[in-house]
Amino acid sequence: MSKEPKKELKVRYYKPKADIKLDISDIQNFVYDMSRCIKCKGCHWVDHTYMPGTKFMTRCPSGTKYEFDAYQAAGKMRIGHAMAEGVLDWNDKALEVIYACTLCGACDVGCKRNLDLEVELTLESLRVKAVKDGKGPMPAHKKIADNISKKKNFFAADQKKRTDWMPKGITPAKKADVLYFVGCSASFVNPEIAQSTVKILKSSGTEFMLMPDEECCGNTIFSVGMLDEAREIAKRNVEAMRKTGAKTLLLSCAEGYRMWKVDYPKLMNISTDELGFKVVHLVEFVDELMKAGKLKMKKEFNTRMTYHDSCSLGRLSDKWTPWEGKRGWMGCVEPRLKRRRGTEGLYAQPRNILNAIPGVDLIEMPRTRENTFCCGAGRGTKEAFPELANFAAEHRLEEVKYVGAETLVSSCPWCKNKFAQAVKANGNDVQVLDISEVICASIDA
Amino acid sequence: MAISKNIYKVLEAIVGPEYISDDPVINESYRSGPGGYENGLGYERVMTTIPGCVILPRTTEEVQKIVKVCYRNEVPYVPYATGFYGPRSHPHVEDALIIDMKRMNDFILDEKHFYVEVGPGMVYSPIQEEAMKHGAYVVIGGGGAQASAIANLLGDGWSPLSHRICLPHRRILGTELVMPDGEIVRMGSLATGDDPFWGEGPGPDLRGLLRGFTGVRGCLGIVTRMAIKTLPFQPERLVPTGISPNTALALPEKRVKWVNFIMPSKKEQVAAMVEIGRAEIAGAVTKVPLFWRAIAKAEDKEHFWELWSKENEQTVANTFIVRVLLIGYTSEEQMEYDEHVLNDIMAELNGKPTRTKPSDESWIKNADSAGMWLMCGGYVSVDYIIETLSQSTEHGPAYADLKKKYTPPLMPDYGDPGWFQSFECGHEGYSEFLIYWDQDDDTNKVDQFYLDTSKMNIKNRFYTSLLGPHQPMYLTGPKYGPNYHLYFLKIKNEFDPKWMSHPPVPLAHDVFVERAPWMHNMKDWESPDDLPK
Repeated sequence: MSKEPKKELKVRYYKPKADIKLDISDIQNFVYDMSRCIKCKGCHWVDHTYMPGTKFMTRCPSGTKYEFDAYQAAGKMRIGHAMAEGVLDWNDKALEVIYACTLCGACDVGCKRNLDLEVELTLESLRVKAVKDGKGPMPAHKKIADNISKKKNFFAADQKKRTDWMPKGITPAKKADVLYFVGCSASFVNPEIAQSTVKILKSSGTEFMLMPDEECCGNTIFSVGMLDEAREIAKRNVEAMRKTGAKTLLLSCAEGYRMWKVDYPKLMNISTDELGFKVVHLVEFVDELMKAGKLKMKKEFNTRMTYHDSCSLGRLSDKWTPWEGKRGWMGCVEPRLKRRRGTEGLYAQPRNILNAIPGVDLIEMPRTRENTFCCGAGRGTKEAFPELANFAAEHRLEEVKYVGAETLVSSCPWCKNKFAQAVKANGNDVQVLDISEVICASIDA
Repeated sequence: MAISKNIYKVLEAIVGPEYISDDPVINESYRSGPGGYENGLGYERVMTTIPGCVILPRTTEEVQKIVKVCYRNEVPYVPYATGFYGPRSHPHVEDALIIDMKRMNDFILDEKHFYVEVGPGMVYSPIQEEAMKHGAYVVIGGGGAQASAIANLLGDGWSPLSHRICLPHRRILGTELVMPDGEIVRMGSLATGDDPFWGEGPGPDLRGLLRGFTGVRGCLGIVTRMAIKTLPFQPERLVPTGISPNTALALPEKRVKWVNFIMPSKKEQVAAMVEIGRAEIAGAVTKVPLFWRAIAKAEDKEHFWELWSKENEQTVANTFIVRVLLIGYTSEEQMEYDEHVLNDIMAELNGKPTRTKPSDESWIKNADSAGMWLMCGGYVSVDYIIETLSQSTEHGPAYADLKKKYTPPLMPDYGDPGWFQSFECGHEGYSEFLIYWDQDDDTNKVDQFYLDTSKMNIKNRFYTSLLGPHQPMYLTGPKYGPNYHLYFLKIKNEFDPKWMSHPPVPLAHDVFVERAPWMHNMKDWESPDDLPK
């Protein structure tokens, strides 16, 4: 046989530049991460320690539904790497693979168990690249972007009706330390969440204000890769919040919480601490009030209940700190980088609250906290890939049924709506509630 | 031959349109590298390519039909379970069909007869969890929690839990194999019925052929179903604790406990392992390399290098850790008895117990994959030796010496002699040597080191497990046979005369040496001129 090489041999891997930055506007910042994926599939399966058995083994909705490796983060990292190297072009399948994903962060925490690769940022950056290359986002996303641009809200609803949900007898203050950012969903689709939240505030004697002219937080705009538009929204909202003088921004929406706490700082290249105000979710707020004795769960709620950890309240909610530096031998970076691994998630607070309610029998599903299977609603999924969103919600409801829960509680209107739709479509006998409603009922506000 | 539209249509009719794709984006996601086990090395760069098409069957019958279509139309194919095992389980020829087995994830637990039956898509950690729920455990090591159990058992399969039972592949029971021509072979008791409870006859026994020690990467067919023996465990639950990445199983200390001992020298280290085996106590007995301890302690890769850079040849040469897992299989009293025996052994050998966490981070449900790549990225096990305990420990230092010649690009390990552990209650010693590198360095020397290990094994008469397709067959065959390579090729030709099942395995490493110019000066053995090109 010939001793000549069959084909030209060359080093075909990108050598990462020494200077790097956790900046999703340039996919080249994540080539190192994409090139180090080992296909351990920790992104796809539940952490081995918490692996519940042969039922509910996975935590990636996209990989679970579509099954080809391309839909797991391991596949996306390879696809992204090939694109970053310029050897693979966009096509319809590529757009589907990149966008038929809930960006729920399950893969990111899975990877950080083994490899510490920046999977979530890579996936976000691939969407930014899709937009920059003129291929993304998906048509359904463009419609939402249009709604927000024209009407300042997700649903293209009449902005004048944004505060129509306000219950009689409650009047927000003109100025207060606490500003309740209601969000599009609670303002227009889930008034019960906004109403419950302000009733809780009133019951605890917390004076609160609203944003003078609240507009969409831009979650979907950011999540689908429209970085410039999202940055403008971030700047406007942060500036408006700073102007109010409020010290605490309170949210009842997990997606909004993540945007304000993590993605606004990311977009503005500042740290979460540099926002100049605290970002808290209702569950944190109520947990603190309970601990301080200012709020007590009194009224019984006799139900077998389970709690769904919203991704943006859990594994996606670690504080943001800008980082840039150099990567050297063996991939080590300097200055030292504190990786965001989802360990700061609000896992204990909602459970503290629900466990304090008389009569509640709180049972855990097999997949909880960082291993939770996403409801499928968020980050542009249900608009562009409703079949994936439906699959994810129905799959999660199987788990609810498996533990025999009568009531499913979450801390985000997007989760609530998605589950409620799935329950209605499938005739499940499960009551779906937001945690604000449960708290409100128990304190008898 | 590329997969034509006609053949695609036929394959599509077998599985349905949603389970087949030849889209370049889907194909790209099945690339072996650039990262992972053995990836980034020459073998991956020269020998692997993306597939031309991917198909996901659900049943054995579908696999049979797919393989028959491939065989008739000369479409090369590669069975693929979870893809963890690096380039050797990915396509080596253009336009191959990947048969992705992940949908074949059936699971049956037979509590009465102590076995589980799985498909190739079922991975390790769910099986272990199900077994433990029923007072049993399985021993499936190798690739870890997220890797296919069948692929592990065919390809690797050693684990610290092998201490009592020897190589896990001996626990393979009834097995179903789709031959390269699409015919089906059922082994063990499956040959006469549908109960896989027994692995030996009356059916054919091809298990040795299917794996040898380290498997043949699907070049002799596709295993679609396997029963695996489970073993009695203790009844108390190992409770998951912590938030990722700091998760662990809290151990019921009166029934399960890890204990680490520092031994005065290697002599006592080995003697302790032999004595523990002789006393027939413990569920796992292993030597822990110092750099694994650094991995376990490190917060991140930068921290690892800080910790590791404090070590030196002296500390590595003078640290002798024995890690013992005690299990009260039958009772707390048995556990107490075992612990007394262990303490007596260690007292006699001057072993000093060290503080050990009452938890298990990575062994019982994970085998060995988590965190192994943390500190660099490039990683491969260059060899596995299964010998007596005393002989297997000779293997590590020999490797450490050879490794110095190739460092860098290999990571500085200060002469660390790898890890070894006890199998079959000390009757066998298992030794493994891992190497790490930065994949952005010039890795040609890593390829050369890999092959040089084979030559070293031949010279020192170590009985290496990495034979067959893992090294050049024409190098190892004459030396470990003297003609096993010829027999192997006869079997390959008999099973797969057209060489459609994962070509050119088992000759892929021979071909690699021919194709890679930097390997040519390593070649000092004869091979035929008609190797697959």
